Amino acid sequence: MHKGYLCLVLHSHLPFVRHPECDYFLEENWLYEAITETYIPLIRMMERLVEEKINFRLTMSLTPTLISMLKDQLLQERYLRYINKLIELAHKEIERTRWQPEFQSLALMYLDRFLGARDTFERYKRDLTSAFASFQDKGVLEIIACCATHGYLPLMDVVPASARAQIRVGIKVYEETFLRKPKGFWLPECGYHPGHDYFLKENGIKYFFMEIHGILHGSPRPKYGIYAPVYCKSGVACFGRDWESAKQVWSSIEGYPGDYWYREFYRDIGYDLDFEYIKPYIHPDGIRINTGIKYYRITGSENKQPYNPQMAKEKAAEHAGNFMFNRERQIEYLYDFLKKKPIVVAPYDAELFGHWWFEGVMWLEFLIRKINFDQKTFTLITASEYLNENPRNQVITPSLSSWGWKGYNEMWLQGANDWIYPHLHKASERMSELVKLHPNENDGLIRRALNQALRELLLAQSSDWAFILGTGTHTTYAIRKIKEHLLRFSTLYEQIKSRSIDPHWLEDIEQKDNLFPNIDYCLHQ
Amino acid sequence: MKRVIKKIKEKIKEKINRLKERKKTKKRLSAHRKEQLKELRGEIKQPSFSNQQAIMLESKYYTPEFKTHYPYVEELPAGYKENRMVLLTRDPWWIHTYWELSPFFLEKIKNDLREEFFNAKRVLRVYDVTNIVFDGTNAHRYFDVEINDYANNWYIDTAGPGRSWCVDLGLKLASGKFITLLRSNVVSTPLDGSSSITDEEWMVPEEIFARLYGIGAGLGVSSPVKKGWQQEVRKKLWQPLASGALSSLASPVKKKEAVGARKFWLIVNTELIVYGATEPDATVYVQGKQIPLRPDGTFSLRFALPDGKQVIPVKGISKDRLEEQTITPVVTKETR
Repeated sequence: MHKGYLCLVLHSHLPFVRHPECDYFLEENWLYEAITETYIPLIRMMERLVEEKINFRLTMSLTPTLISMLKDQLLQERYLRYINKLIELAHKEIERTRWQPEFQSLALMYLDRFLGARDTFERYKRDLTSAFASFQDKGVLEIIACCATHGYLPLMDVVPASARAQIRVGIKVYEETFLRKPKGFWLPECGYHPGHDYFLKENGIKYFFMEIHGILHGSPRPKYGIYAPVYCKSGVACFGRDWESAKQVWSSIEGYPGDYWYREFYRDIGYDLDFEYIKPYIHPDGIRINTGIKYYRITGSENKQPYNPQMAKEKAAEHAGNFMFNRERQIEYLYDFLKKKPIVVAPYDAELFGHWWFEGVMWLEFLIRKINFDQKTFTLITASEYLNENPRNQVITPSLSSWGWKGYNEMWLQGANDWIYPHLHKASERMSELVKLHPNENDGLIRRALNQALRELLLAQSSDWAFILGTGTHTTYAIRKIKEHLLRFSTLYEQIKSRSIDPHWLEDIEQKDNLFPNIDYCLHQ
Repeated sequence: MKRVIKKIKEKIKEKINRLKERKKTKKRLSAHRKEQLKELRGEIKQPSFSNQQAIMLESKYYTPEFKTHYPYVEELPAGYKENRMVLLTRDPWWIHTYWELSPFFLEKIKNDLREEFFNAKRVLRVYDVTNIVFDGTNAHRYFDVEINDYANNWYIDTAGPGRSWCVDLGLKLASGKFITLLRSNVVSTPLDGSSSITDEEWMVPEEIFARLYGIGAGLGVSSPVKKGWQQEVRKKLWQPLASGALSSLASPVKKKEAVGARKFWLIVNTELIVYGATEPDATVYVQGKQIPLRPDGTFSLRFALPDGKQVIPVKGISKDRLEEQTITPVVTKETR
């Protein structure tokens, strides 16, 4: 008899970056890297597990911006161009490292990965969302919905219509993509503002996830801490993140990813090799960038040693065993202590796995296999399965919280990014005004403009831009994105108000910011 | 004469009041602020967990930045020429407000107040409106924050977790009279610890809750449960970081160099290019491995060259396989 549950959640998100006006656009690489290093390895992992009939449950969010990019034909074509370039480079690397077997074996490893990525990409007809959908249909993966553009809701509370639009558009995209209603929801950055659960409720959402202190500081005190969900007053269930399991993975110091045998993220041949040689594979202007081929391990000193896949694999297995062991002890203890089967919720950013932590997907696969074969203390579960088994839970009002730096709103509201809110809030108000003025617009052109206005507003609201401004590095692009979308919104607002829409310009921005094809501006209220 | 004395008295009173206010503010320097100061002084060495997580999240957007790459984008308007004041919660202790005064409105106030306007101080009046419907007069208490005339936003330390706030932007006239220019929306700061409210049906003893709190927060079963456990746990986990810490998100695995350590460095690698030409339809082997020829029969290969001796037989075979030729460069590399 098992004594509790582990709920693994992977939150996958990238902001909408798509620039058809440029032949090459550096920031689009965020998507291509994530496809190669995270999404495809996760898909291949699930394929293996399903094929071997290993019983497992995973929860994943795919944000609407990510879904839109994964389904976009232009980006699909560009991904193929990207991966083909990498394959070419890997071939060259195998030749170049002929007299350095310790590197040549790595070049071969990369070639194998890139070929596998291209193959998987083509097998799913270039649309990876269909891969995730198929695992959901098989019952091993539960995909949850997320806000339209990953807007940070607590700072949108001044114009609640925007928070609702984020949620409603997000759910619409989910339904169109996965042909069913979502049960769960991922609040961007786990940002919860009391009352927003009602917006989830009115859209049929059954549960969402929250940072630990959102529940622990809720009122009244949660009897089971974060080891059982609570219901908000709206009736939506809410699961708190367990920090013990979070820290083992998330911490760059005490966590697994910092192990000296793991691959070093910051050493890339894009920076290391002779300029003339690497030139065709970096930025066309000759700016060195990451290629994805990295030969060194973290090592623990500046004198980096070559990466050793075998040792890294053993480490990943060891860490998976350690993680499982800790969960067993934790769950046994909690079971005796609570006289109830606890649920331990462990959410992670999906892009951490494979991208920053190269061995992360391998670790996850080891973990799932070990949980299946090596222990009987707990099982994997999804939040909705847990709620079916345990429908009766305490009602509390959770506290404002996020999983960001310092646990509240500061990551997105500080000296470096607070200037965006007067503009964002103004735009939200204007959007509400437009919806009021055009309750049911029949004019096709104006309707298109209204829909595009909502797209632009949502795009400006992405939490990513504020986050990047907050970190203070590579801010130029983030500033550009915020300005660009807000300016497009303002122009649309003026044109709609004066009923003088420039159809050519509208068409142009519709083609650039082409996500959410079936958006309805009336969702902003 | 009497008037002058009265004026002086008022000024002294005002000064005393301001000093009192300052003292109060100092008192409001909560434990959290002290922690923050410690961070600023570099007394806390290890970045908090949430900071480490931010470092990893940032790797998602890991691309080099170069300014010339992006086309020019127009500026956003400086304002919207209207009266507006918005209040946002930052965390349990701090709130943030931004505002805009329409130029028209400001002119009107100036005209109404004339000289008094220029002698007045701009002040944010922060009302504690917890659990009430605020009508402008019924706040539990308020405190003033003096600001400069050019500010259009402000961070306010309320030192009051778990309360609701409303802020007025106003003018404090020389007479002490306060005139409200703008009023914000109401926001609430979250609790800084667990609620003191428990419900009967889901009763949980203090000690068990303390234990659960500590375990959830990753402190294991040895987490503090005795008196003051909340402070203990908080100290371990939510110790905030100085804002500067995030701006220098470099490789977290890189060891920080000791202050004053010299940074000069030099790396030398060698590569060897082997190139040549033959009949376009010939077959060429380098170290026993067939290599592709360009359409004109030329070829070139590039090898990373480690220390030691490399014997590189290059064998060409004619299309009809009747002729064969081998040339063998021998290269020795040595690093001193």
